[in-house]
Amino acid sequence: MTSAQRPTLHQSVALVWRTLRSMRTALILLLMIGLASVAGSLLPQWPNSPERVIEYRAEHAFWGTFFDRAGLFDVFGSWWFVLLTTLLFVSLIACLVPRTRALWRALRTPPMHAREIDAFPCYTDMAVVAAPDVSLEAASHTLRRRRFRVARDPGRPALAAEKGVAREVGSLAFHWAFILLLAGVLYGKGTGFSGFAVVVEGQTWIDAQANYDGQIRTGRFFDGDFTGAGVRLRDFRSDFRRTGQPMDFVSEVDLLGPDGSVLGPADIRVNHPASIEGIRIYQINFGWAPTIEIRDRGEVIASGAVVMDRDPAPEGVEDFAMPWRGIVKQPGAGAGGADRAIELELWPDSRGLAALLQGDEPQAMLVEFDPIIRFTVWEGTLTDLSTNRLDTRLLDEVSTGILGAGRTADLADGRELTAGETASGSAISFPELRQYSVFQVSRDAGVPLVLAAAILILVGLLPALYGSRRKVWVRIDPDGEGARVRVGGLAMQRKPQFEDEFARLVDAIASAAGGARAQVPAPDDREPDDREKVQTR
Amino acid sequence: MTDLQWARISNDAFNVALFAYIAAMIGSFVFLAFRRDAIWQVSRAIAVAGVAANLVSIAARGLAAHRVPWGNMYEYSSLLALLVVIGALVVLEGVYKVRSLTGFALMFSVLTMAVAVSFLYVGPGPLVPALDSYWIKIHVQAAIWGSSLFALGGIATIAYLIVDRAERRKLAALGSQSPPPIMGGSLDLDAVSSDAPDDLVADSAEDVRERPSERRLVPSAAGLDRLAYRIISVAFPIWTFAVIAGAIWAQEAWGRYWGWDPKETWSFITWVIFAGYLHARATSGWKGRRAAVIALVGFASLLVTYYVVNLWIVGLHSYAK
Ligand code: HEM
Repeated sequence: MTSAQRPTLHQSVALVWRTLRSMRTALILLLMIGLASVAGSLLPQWPNSPERVIEYRAEHAFWGTFFDRAGLFDVFGSWWFVLLTTLLFVSLIACLVPRTRALWRALRTPPMHAREIDAFPCYTDMAVVAAPDVSLEAASHTLRRRRFRVARDPGRPALAAEKGVAREVGSLAFHWAFILLLAGVLYGKGTGFSGFAVVVEGQTWIDAQANYDGQIRTGRFFDGDFTGAGVRLRDFRSDFRRTGQPMDFVSEVDLLGPDGSVLGPADIRVNHPASIEGIRIYQINFGWAPTIEIRDRGEVIASGAVVMDRDPAPEGVEDFAMPWRGIVKQPGAGAGGADRAIELELWPDSRGLAALLQGDEPQAMLVEFDPIIRFTVWEGTLTDLSTNRLDTRLLDEVSTGILGAGRTADLADGRELTAGETASGSAISFPELRQYSVFQVSRDAGVPLVLAAAILILVGLLPALYGSRRKVWVRIDPDGEGARVRVGGLAMQRKPQFEDEFARLVDAIASAAGGARAQVPAPDDREPDDREKVQTR
Repeated sequence: MTDLQWARISNDAFNVALFAYIAAMIGSFVFLAFRRDAIWQVSRAIAVAGVAANLVSIAARGLAAHRVPWGNMYEYSSLLALLVVIGALVVLEGVYKVRSLTGFALMFSVLTMAVAVSFLYVGPGPLVPALDSYWIKIHVQAAIWGSSLFALGGIATIAYLIVDRAERRKLAALGSQSPPPIMGGSLDLDAVSSDAPDDLVADSAEDVRERPSERRLVPSAAGLDRLAYRIISVAFPIWTFAVIAGAIWAQEAWGRYWGWDPKETWSFITWVIFAGYLHARATSGWKGRRAAVIALVGFASLLVTYYVVNLWIVGLHSYAK
């Protein structure tokens, strides 16, 4: 009833440790991780598709909140998934340490000698021509040549041999490799980062905190040390089939070192990232970026490429049939110091716009062809300076117009200006259409470790699955002119194959010992061998 | 020949293969029912013709599309069906001398191909850039080889469960009248397995093979169990390699080797289940029927990885289109 019956702390720890050590625990944990993964694949996940999580939560009020609380929208980042993984790895280590120690000990102690060798599943008793000491040497040599570890019995002319530790070594390598895998994942994710870079043709992008588009995902131990290396996008090319199926996207870049020197050209395409200074640059996306110039009474007040986003396509319409949008915001540039915003809608292939206006089938716009921009000018007060949305509550529409490549239009009324004509107020022009590339830039220093672990997993798995441990014992006794050789054998796995191997081994020993003489009668038919009995006792 | 002609040859050969497999499947089942050797000979010849047509279809597809012919689900299905039939003819019949499972393997291939022509057909064409990589060729090949072996293992497992049940019934019926027969390790699996608790690899072919003297058509339950185990233990490392190759490819294409994309997640789940199966086999008391159930769950998970994820769950792996 008292504390005497309660387990001590030491006992509790020992119990937990014993539980964790068992393979059953590891299996259950592995199974639970499997179940968690099922949930993670069926429900939308924050890191992969945030929009679908939001949609799901909007549609399923109760379950949405419930799943969110339970971490089911981010299964693989939830505390309980981390806990399960941790427990699994603790369990794995708890089981591997004693197994490894046992293997280590087994490798350093010679094979064990057996007393009664005729009880083994494989057993042969034969008489050979060579003398006992020669036969012993021959048997030992034969076994060694077949890569058995051989130990000679100090007291008798007998051998113990074994082979096939590769099985246990492989199994342990395989299991330890998961620890290495975890180490590689944690190290790589912990010290690495990943972000997106948007680069317009002709522009240079430098790896620095401020130059990333949107959020950078950094590991907990990321040292904030951006490399200062970069790329200059010379040209972007995309090839499509007539069906609109993409064939290839290539960014032709110059790689730049941290000191700004050109290291050399590179093509970055899907499946062919570039590496500089330990960071990798992947082709992820692309789009259109028209250059826009805004003049005020003939004087350029703003110019640059506007990175545009494509409108989402409605059901049944091809993505590339949709126009692209961008916004130019100019605080204080409007009449009387009001803010100005210009909404731009780009049709990189004006035949797409023509199809829309004529009510034809939407047409995919895969190449540049007489690009055209429709614009709307607003003036008033801007509530924010973001470039991907426009809050028009405090703005008034001033004008709308259409602008072809190389043309200029008056912002006050949207009218196109003829060559040489200057606007009384501001004018917008569209000198050329460029493309931009979206790169994913990331650093993961754990990749080599993870790769090594993967290789170790595979290499360890093969002997672990197909290897087998075999033991062989040989006993030699004088027998007339020659020797009596008895061989016993035992396989822990693959027993039928071992029977064949054993037969071949016995033949090899016999021929190494000068060949077999007439067979000694089988053990059952012989009379008890008294001399042998005395010797073993 | 033009691409269009190659495409047509591919489609025609596909249909020929499908009908040959159907005929051979029916033949195999008739053989099981009547046990006439001639029926077996004929259905085997038809199955071999089907394999030839299937090969032609795949090769012509490659010539029509100017690339490796395993770039979308229709093409995977064709290759999977081919490998399962070849596996049944070469491994089951050739190596293990088991003739009773071929009809079921053909049935698997017929279903796979029927689903492929009905729902997954796309014309030959180039790959989308994301799939156009050295690693995906290796990855897909490994995945299909692994899958076909898992499928054969699944078939052997189902056969094991059926035969085991029949044997237990027979034993129960016998037991009520007379003492159980002494022979037959297959009758008391657990007793047999506890002899060899750390025997992860089934004892060799000999145990599975039908002994000519016995003239048994259907192997014993224990034999089928070991057969299933041997096949799965070959499939497992191949699947492991496929997952690793996929991760290497993901690292090249998307800048991360693992992202818990639904496809990745399900191939991991399949991997975990078969790892559980292998562990269960190593634990005495979990051999036999309980392990078999795990193998079937793994087989189901493989089908989810293959069909459900590609067709119904959205992910980065965009082969379905
Ligand atoms: C996937 C293929 C795997 C194979 C073929 C395999 C094989 C084995 C084998 C042969 C044993 C020894 C069984 C015994 O001595 O009775 C074992 C034990 C164990 N395995 Fe695995 N294993 C695999 C995967 C894993 C994984 C992924 C984990 C966890 C991360 C794991 C965790 C363990 C644990 C904790 C033990 C218990 C060790 C002991 O009790 O000595 N295994 N495994």
